[in-house]
Amino acid sequence: MSDSLVAPTAAPARHLVSPSDLDLPLVESLLALASDMERQGQSPAQAPLRGRIMASVFYEPSTRTRFSFEAAMLRLGGQVISVESAATGSSAAKGESLEDAVRIIGGYADLIVLRHPEIGAAERAARVSPVPLVNAGDGAGHHPTQALLDLYTIKKECGRLDHLRIVMSGDLKFGRTARSLALLLARYPGNQLTLVSPDELRLGEDVRHQLHRTGVSIRDERDLSAAAAGADVLYQTRIQRERFASVTEYDQVRSVSRVDAALMRRLPEHAIVMHPLPRLDEIDESVDSDPRAAYFRQARNGLFVRMAVLYWLAMGT
Amino acid sequence: MSTPKAVILDGDGIRRSLRRIAHEIIERQPDLEHLTILGIVTRGVPLAQRLAQLLHELEGIAPPVIPLDVRGYRDDLPRSQAPPPALPADRVKDRPVLLVDDVLFNGRTARAAVDAVVAAGRPLLIQLAVLVDRGHRELPIRPDYVGKNVPTSRQEWVEVHLSEIDGEDSVRILERDGA
Repeated sequence: MSDSLVAPTAAPARHLVSPSDLDLPLVESLLALASDMERQGQSPAQAPLRGRIMASVFYEPSTRTRFSFEAAMLRLGGQVISVESAATGSSAAKGESLEDAVRIIGGYADLIVLRHPEIGAAERAARVSPVPLVNAGDGAGHHPTQALLDLYTIKKECGRLDHLRIVMSGDLKFGRTARSLALLLARYPGNQLTLVSPDELRLGEDVRHQLHRTGVSIRDERDLSAAAAGADVLYQTRIQRERFASVTEYDQVRSVSRVDAALMRRLPEHAIVMHPLPRLDEIDESVDSDPRAAYFRQARNGLFVRMAVLYWLAMGT
Repeated sequence: MSTPKAVILDGDGIRRSLRRIAHEIIERQPDLEHLTILGIVTRGVPLAQRLAQLLHELEGIAPPVIPLDVRGYRDDLPRSQAPPPALPADRVKDRPVLLVDDVLFNGRTARAAVDAVVAAGRPLLIQLAVLVDRGHRELPIRPDYVGKNVPTSRQEWVEVHLSEIDGEDSVRILERDGA
């Protein structure tokens, strides 16, 4: 018997805020746990989080992320309280600070899932949260569970996370999913990243600097079609219209970075196409029926990965 | 309540103990590639994670660490209070399994953990690693890896603090007042 289990001590909680909270052994553990969750079916009969409450606090709209976190908690036997639009539908409208809100909510719930439009908001919230807090996206900052579900999908579809040729395309500057994923992939040996994006949306120097230190190979490429020919994974992201000065520039960029039937003919047979979703028209709908289109399977994997993360955090680590 | 008596391991002591255990695991674990580490909730989890980190540094292998909540398998707590752990059969089937906990005392948690594993599937073998063995076994349980053997009286209490949970690393012996 753990003596300390009988005589518990008040403890600061562990949080999941950014990829830097995830060392490789923890990533491997969470991926293994996610795979356990998937193999047990969507509802582990034992309901391991019975009696626990998760608060989902979203200061910014999100359907997919919020639903998958809430479904994950319910499938583990826990319960959920939520604010759908915390910015207007909570005391934030009365001017309450994020820190105060998190302190109060942490008194009612056992876990907090936070989405906020400002970079660094999750870090600030985690510093004062009395219970484990998961960052479900903070502006152009990080979205660690998305990066984990991307890794889970690659491992499941490709059978490994090392010695892969990964092509990332689209908005690599503001797209937090691509940034977080690149940092996690760099922890595994032999990966080659090929980056395809317009100059305005190049991967930031901060991330490049961190990637260079890990020794991962990075190459910039203008032509998506040429890059796709040698890819194991093609990771497409959404380009937002408001990032461009004019509609003409926007249309020009979109037309050269589109995944369509012609591009799929260049992509190797064993490769997969991923996308964090939602998509606009950067992946043509005709691609959906191609078995290499993994993005809907990827979205579904979010459920298992979030079950793993919630289970891990709730178990008091 | 209880009165602190002595610090038996500080942060460096815990680090050295875990490093030695990691080396012993590498020597004695027949199939590191397929090892599953089960950290017994609560403080077995960060300890298991630290061992996995050391195995990764030393051997380049990062075995998965899964938290194991054994309260549903204990014989001295009402079973209805805690659900059995979520452990699928193929997580343990035909694999070596390493159980990790902070303190080994009467052996009832370790027995519950073995039951939990066996209920899920048939492992290749089960080993047990503990940071502190304080004696007073009530069951035929023997750890395979021990950080420190600490002879104690039944009136004494061993308290493990880990930075991930408690903000600091230490192992203390406490005396129960009035004992």
